Amino acid sequence: MSDPTKVRVGLLRLTDSAPVIVAQEFGFFADEGIEAALSVEPSWANVSDKLAHGALDAAVILPPLAFAVTLGLRGAAQPLVVPYMLSVGGETITLEKRLGVDLRERAREKGMAAALADRLKQGGLAPLAVVHEYSNHNLLLRYWLAAADAIAGRDYEIVIVPPARTLEALQSGRIAGFCAGAPWGEVAERADAGATVATSHDVWRNAPEKALAMRERWVEANPQAMAGVLRALYRAGKFCDAPQNASYIASLLSRRAWLALDSHAILSSLPGTHGGKAVSRFSAHVVNYPWRSQAMWFLEQMKRWRLIEPKLASEAVAMRVYRPDLFAAALGPVGAPTPLRDRKREGGHSEPWSLPAAPTPIAMAPDLFCDGAIFDFE
Amino acid sequence: MSLKILVIDSEPDRARSLAESLNAAGFDDVAHVAAGAGLVEAVERIAPDLIVIDMALPDRDALESVRSLSAAAPRPIVMFADEDDPALVEEAIAAGVCSYNLSGVATRDMRAIVASAVALFRRYARIETQLAAANAQLEERRIVERAKAQLMAARGIGEPQAYKWLRTKAMNENRRIVEVAADLIKGDEADALLKP
Repeated sequence: MSDPTKVRVGLLRLTDSAPVIVAQEFGFFADEGIEAALSVEPSWANVSDKLAHGALDAAVILPPLAFAVTLGLRGAAQPLVVPYMLSVGGETITLEKRLGVDLRERAREKGMAAALADRLKQGGLAPLAVVHEYSNHNLLLRYWLAAADAIAGRDYEIVIVPPARTLEALQSGRIAGFCAGAPWGEVAERADAGATVATSHDVWRNAPEKALAMRERWVEANPQAMAGVLRALYRAGKFCDAPQNASYIASLLSRRAWLALDSHAILSSLPGTHGGKAVSRFSAHVVNYPWRSQAMWFLEQMKRWRLIEPKLASEAVAMRVYRPDLFAAALGPVGAPTPLRDRKREGGHSEPWSLPAAPTPIAMAPDLFCDGAIFDFE
Repeated sequence: MSLKILVIDSEPDRARSLAESLNAAGFDDVAHVAAGAGLVEAVERIAPDLIVIDMALPDRDALESVRSLSAAAPRPIVMFADEDDPALVEEAIAAGVCSYNLSGVATRDMRAIVASAVALFRRYARIETQLAAANAQLEERRIVERAKAQLMAARGIGEPQAYKWLRTKAMNENRRIVEVAADLIKGDEADALLKP
């Protein structure tokens, strides 16, 4: 047998790092002949820099950040590919407790986005925080409030606060609320400092969340190992989706070597644990397929808020970074449902629906946007 | 030189040493702040030309959103060192130090500043590793002592016999003496002992 291929994978202290941690702890990577070295990073900036300078081969990443690193928007450029998506859902919009409780009353009539938009326009509130400039959170929060006619920069300010600092920022009054990944909303609620008023599902049902980014050069040099990484993660994703495994995964993730957080806060963000406000999902309904239409949605939203040049040829970027062809080649042979196309109409489904695919149609989850929009880039 | 350098580090000793070595190299204007939720305000107030930050801090994500006052550099540039010097870049990442060039600091200065930060961060990492190793050794000795005392009390034997018993058992089971000792004190007690 040949020597195992080494892969260095970066991750943050977030619930959606679960499949990578499970694949490591259960030996799924080893089963594929891969020696994975996981590295818990303190910031997205670290993940990006280590990818850019070749100190990491792969990472759990935010899709907008994968584009930013590829385009060199925040440091050295490094071409990344996304052959696999890790999760959907899991973000919360959590407000300072009194504000949140007050708005819940007002939201009964007009909905939470409108209630918060009204309050923001009255002025006098501290800024809202998101976890990184090039984050899903930044795009989703702006989208949600813009649909209720509150525009970032005009009606309210957005600041960047890393997840691990959200509680401190909320308690000190520096921010009026934040949008962050699980379990940080739950952490703020448990500290009696925050009230979660919405989740990413309220902005975009089953919104794509974390991606697996890999250095394009590493993938070209290690095509077999790349496929092995995907198979290991796919196995782990199925394990993470099973409700009976939730409490086990929560205690695994809570360990000091991984998230170093209260396992109860993590548990509420795992599938099958009812009561959790922002539940992540890791496998079912082709969560893991890197839809280029979703890449386009992120890129168009980045343009909308001037995070990238409006003239940028986004389709070329989406084609280069999102690689459903790599997904199909690696996971088709092990029976993963594989859509026939690289894109679909995003939005418009308020109920489960069926997607034509080989060999059988795929059961899909609702994908409604909060404003009812349909994103179609045909 | 009139460069304003801001050191962001939650390790006060290291920050002080870095300020001293930068002073000695001719950089007089060195400020230090610890990390935290108020970091961005501090950076905007101090308006440095260059930031040197500990990569272990989560605050880098917030830092990258800071817009510099200078029109030439509308946002901070992440720069570990001279980008043409991959060896120094690698060293900086390995040492855990990162720098942000906010107002177009010359490469020559950047290189000197980053190199002294790298050297300092390295030295601290080494001291920490040594300290951890020394602590672990101390813990191990304490566990063995405790197991010996337990054996001596339980069996009415002397210290040399107790040690010999542990050593023989370890050899027979192909394990380390400390593992056998920890087993002996067993369960929660051993766990408590293993904690720093």
